[in-house]
Amino acid sequence: MSTAFRKINIDAFDEDVLLPSDLYDPDPRGVDGVTAESKQKAQEARNLVSKGDTAGALNAILSNPPYGEGVDDAKATTTSALLTILNSTRSADIAGVLKGLGEEQQGHLMAYLYKGMEGLGQGSDQSGSVLLTWHEKLVEVAGIGAIVRVMTDRRLL
Amino acid sequence: MSAEQFQLSFSPLTGVAFGPDRTQVAVSPNNNEAQIYKRSGDSWNLETTLAEHDKLITAISWAPQTNQIVTCSQDRNAYVWTLTDGIWKPMLVLLRINRAATCVKWSPKEDKFAVGSGARTIAICSFDEENNWWVSKHIKKPLRSTVLSLDWHPNNVLLAAGAADAKAYVFSAFIKGVDAKPEPTVWGDRLPFGTICGEFSSPSGGWIHDVAFSPSGDVLAYVSHDSTISIVYPSAPGEPPAAHISVRCPSLPYLALSFVSESSLIAAGHDCQPVVYSGSSDGWTLSQSLDDPNNASKLTPSSTGNRVSSGGVGRLNNEAFAHFRSADTKGQSKSSTASNVAGLTPVGADGLLKTVHQNSITWVEPYEWGQGGEVTKVSTAGKDGKLVVWPISGAGKAGGLAGKMSGLSM
Repeated sequence: MSTAFRKINIDAFDEDVLLPSDLYDPDPRGVDGVTAESKQKAQEARNLVSKGDTAGALNAILSNPPYGEGVDDAKATTTSALLTILNSTRSADIAGVLKGLGEEQQGHLMAYLYKGMEGLGQGSDQSGSVLLTWHEKLVEVAGIGAIVRVMTDRRLL
Repeated sequence: MSAEQFQLSFSPLTGVAFGPDRTQVAVSPNNNEAQIYKRSGDSWNLETTLAEHDKLITAISWAPQTNQIVTCSQDRNAYVWTLTDGIWKPMLVLLRINRAATCVKWSPKEDKFAVGSGARTIAICSFDEENNWWVSKHIKKPLRSTVLSLDWHPNNVLLAAGAADAKAYVFSAFIKGVDAKPEPTVWGDRLPFGTICGEFSSPSGGWIHDVAFSPSGDVLAYVSHDSTISIVYPSAPGEPPAAHISVRCPSLPYLALSFVSESSLIAAGHDCQPVVYSGSSDGWTLSQSLDDPNNASKLTPSSTGNRVSSGGVGRLNNEAFAHFRSADTKGQSKSSTASNVAGLTPVGADGLLKTVHQNSITWVEPYEWGQGGEVTKVSTAGKDGKLVVWPISGAGKAGGLAGKMSGLSM
């Protein structure tokens, strides 16, 4: 049986189409605001992590992450700063750092972990095992609900 | 006293509604028929089958005072069934929708009902005496997607709806000629048909699986697919809510919820166990699971996921077999005792869940009330075809909970 019909975009014939961007409120900071803020936070986080303050660096980078359309640069900046923090944390310290984060930040961290996994095998030099270790420890603290929230959230990183 | 469980079907129960005196229940076993079971002693016996729909029945509602059943289906129709001379007679409702009907609920006064649908529409249906049929009026704006759940405010006018556009709404469903002018509430004072009295979403988005008003109607709660349960305390019409509490759950999302008092509610869903949440406008917390409260440690969210089964020794039930099977099917490399993932439904070594329900719970509602009007039993039904009646222990009752909460706040 032909399955070509499955590829027909039936929404094209609907006047009132639900777009992905209809499912969340746009970022009030605007594209420029988000980009500037992300750059500044990434710099702040890098400074903190070089002083050995992992918790402070995570707190800085995990507040108000960029989301939505048109802010890919800001997303890349914060993701790379966050991965720097993750890579420079000893695995014995991870559990302690995670317990110091709020629920909302734990959620944002989970989103960044999946964003990091997305980049694996696409030329990035990120190690997957670091991400998996953080993921395992984070699920122990925040529960599988945190994974569900990342999969559900339309405000994609 | 433990939970009573009844295997009504081996397929999912897609609509459940109890009769007026709770000795009858109408369910749809995931097909186009609704079955009415009557309770005798410890079993439910099939009494009647209501067959009129062409496609899967998605929801059933049974009016307790007027003894009428309304069923709605993916065939885009709804029927109102009335018992005449011992036979249930259907009457077609003019829904005028072009997608499946997804949910239905009688209003508290039973003079109208609401039908949610995939056509981004809620049909508010009332009886037209002149023409002797049920007619509908549509709420369309600002729904952007399928309506998944409905609940009526006790004043018979306000209607809460949860939709797949990740919003929970409160609308006025005032029908001229049916409703008298309602008393002002915290939701609004002027309420022409279709007025939007509230629009809420969850912090991480996610479509709204179920909505519920508290018994007074002054509080709205909803569960969404981001594993969050949200409770809204409105302040005044047009004002932002006095409190909007979102509890992030460690488990899989809840699919259904029901208030048992102003300060406690029962939620249940993909983690296969009904849980009690309690709180006030200062905050809500998970207080207990109804599934085996004596063994609460295995069910509280922070506890271990898997436990060693105490099942007998058998060729297919030994430890090594279970170990390899869990590595194979669930990707678990550690032995089943070592997993400590929060919010995971416990699985025995025999592969069965350790909860009573063996699949997602899709429906929860109070079953029995005590003399003081407090809920003493709740019932749940799910995709495993089971109907379960749970006693609420002292802690779940309104008085007990209030006492417990005040103890906590100290």
